[in-house]
Amino acid sequence: MKKIIALALSVLMLTSALAGCGNETKPGGTSGAGTTQPGSQGTANLEPIKIGSIQDTSGGASLAGQPNQWGVEYAVRWINENGGINGRPVELYSRDCQNDAEVGVTNYRELVDEAGVCAIIGPPLSNPASAWVELATEDKIPIVGHFMDEVCTTDPDTGEAYPYMFLAEPSCSVQSYILAEYGMNELNVKTVATLYNTSNAYAVAHEGPFVNYVEANGGQVLARETFGWTDTDYTAQAQKIAALNPDAVLLCDYCNQMVTAYDNLRDAGYTGYILGANTMYPPFNSLVKNEIKDCYFVQNYDLSAGTIADLLDIQMKETGTDYPTSNVGFGWDACMVLFNAMKQAKDPTDGEEVRQILENNTKDVESAGGAKITIDPSTHRPTRDMGMYIASYDEDVNVDCLVYMTSDYNS
Amino acid sequence: MTFQLFISGVSLGSVYALIAVGFAIVFSILKFSNFAHGGMISACAYIGYFFLSAFETPPPFVVTVIFTTICGVLLALLVDTAAYRRIRRKQAPNIYYFLASITIAILIEQILSVFFGKNLYGYPAIFKSTTFNIGSIRFSSVDTLILVVSLVILAVLLYVINGTRIGLAIRTVAISPSTSRLMGINSDVIIIVVFAIAGALAGISGVLLGMKYSVYPSLGPSMMIKGFIASVIGGLGSLGGAIIAAIALGIVEIFLTYWIGSLSAPIVLFGIMLVFLAVRPEGISGRFAKDKV
Repeated sequence: MKKIIALALSVLMLTSALAGCGNETKPGGTSGAGTTQPGSQGTANLEPIKIGSIQDTSGGASLAGQPNQWGVEYAVRWINENGGINGRPVELYSRDCQNDAEVGVTNYRELVDEAGVCAIIGPPLSNPASAWVELATEDKIPIVGHFMDEVCTTDPDTGEAYPYMFLAEPSCSVQSYILAEYGMNELNVKTVATLYNTSNAYAVAHEGPFVNYVEANGGQVLARETFGWTDTDYTAQAQKIAALNPDAVLLCDYCNQMVTAYDNLRDAGYTGYILGANTMYPPFNSLVKNEIKDCYFVQNYDLSAGTIADLLDIQMKETGTDYPTSNVGFGWDACMVLFNAMKQAKDPTDGEEVRQILENNTKDVESAGGAKITIDPSTHRPTRDMGMYIASYDEDVNVDCLVYMTSDYNS
Repeated sequence: MTFQLFISGVSLGSVYALIAVGFAIVFSILKFSNFAHGGMISACAYIGYFFLSAFETPPPFVVTVIFTTICGVLLALLVDTAAYRRIRRKQAPNIYYFLASITIAILIEQILSVFFGKNLYGYPAIFKSTTFNIGSIRFSSVDTLILVVSLVILAVLLYVINGTRIGLAIRTVAISPSTSRLMGINSDVIIIVVFAIAGALAGISGVLLGMKYSVYPSLGPSMMIKGFIASVIGGLGSLGGAIIAAIALGIVEIFLTYWIGSLSAPIVLFGIMLVFLAVRPEGISGRFAKDKV
């Protein structure tokens, strides 16, 4: 019995140790939250700049959160190996928000109050990010991230930008406008239906603007079908949509749910266009059971070229990930935007100074995909020069980036 | 459309039935809902996937199911040894079984997340087409397979329980473990047999659910709520009741979602469940679990 207990304890300890990895900083052979990643060009003796990263590395969005976190870690490793911020090394403190706003607030307090970070890289999640708006203003902590719902960066009532929140990619609305514009102009779509997760801010923030664009441009919305986190099958909704037979259906949620929705629609006999958010990238193509046909989605990067291709090559080797994912670039881009502002600051740890530079002087920061990120001072989001690819899957079910599009549409 | 929805409901119900039977078999003996079943289904889905991936030419579907079923049995015995055996020996209240089962479910899910959470996996298709038509009615190939498997499992289990000596022993232990010991039945062995059966069911369910959906750590647990509801409505511990309730649940859910939408459907669905339990708390089977298997 003692042996069994000893074995059980060993398993538990191993599991705990592995589970704890989510909060550690891995690149460069260092580990443990708060460890410095010394640079190779004389940055080690200077006072480090502490920044935080809050990502979902174990919750419902961890499939996106883990590569996002890797992108942040690699960007910190890269900046330290390239002279740091004006010679000062960057020290990364990471936390796992588990896609939970409450946990996200606790993470924020730990990073600001205990670790003493001066800026935070946020997750591609809108629910936790929304909860930091007032905290960041109070503490003067700039947060740069990929929380694409516009309510994370601007007050929905006044339209004014929240002072410390910054987005480093096109918002959900812009992505939906681009997708809808492509559908209506290039695919000649006149009637649409939507199928999305009402429990997911990411999905809701895509669906509304898509519908708005279609209706404003003479299209007709035949159905707006929904599902929730606890639903595992959308057959009823799919059959309803198939019976209405719209020209196109918009799917919005995370990859897993997109797969089920796509299969349910095709199983229900729907043969029209299926349009998707940027979660339709791989592994979507390896998971769907039906043939991928007439399927178009927005994609942040052309993953086959440029910095993003190099990042993915390293990330897939280092982490054992089987397929490329754009989220690696999200973490990288958010860091590049923040580092760009910090490099311009007299005191990169001064939250107010960095905030002002982020707001007024973030111009043409190169993203992992090669696009230029210029922050619009009035919205704290990229200007409309930054667009998205419209992608599809080719005959070998590989991603095929068809066209890079921007949109000037405003609801 | 109405008949098509009915067929879709039966298909969805067959998925719930697969889970509900796993619940029912353990509840029939130990009188607790084994939530670890969901975690075991996830683990078996991964085992089946990696077994298939290990071969250049994937082995036949039946071979994968047999392999995963054996692994499910071994996993169930491990879980019993690690989590339930000492509770049983100390004759602790059922709440400890309940807590242990939830702990095991979370533990398995987290272990899977740590080791495999970076990727989603998809089983290769075993059918040329995902659907087939009979007349104008469209059937899902995988769902039909799941329904057939559920019914075969039910038939086999009913035969084992009602027509064999081991089944007689299971029924005896279900009624009273202490009395069965006085009659010369080793109740510990019988309980292990029941866990082995539940493990086999988890193995089969893991492969089938993995084929229908993607393979991810919360695959099994995400199905547990509906499976649990079906086993309660069916009459906790009743195998036949669980399958009937699961299919009824699928049909009602499909129609409600179609008519009133996915947001309102759960309100009505759970309302119906409350009314049903108030009117017939013993469930569809009509007997309380303590009186039968």
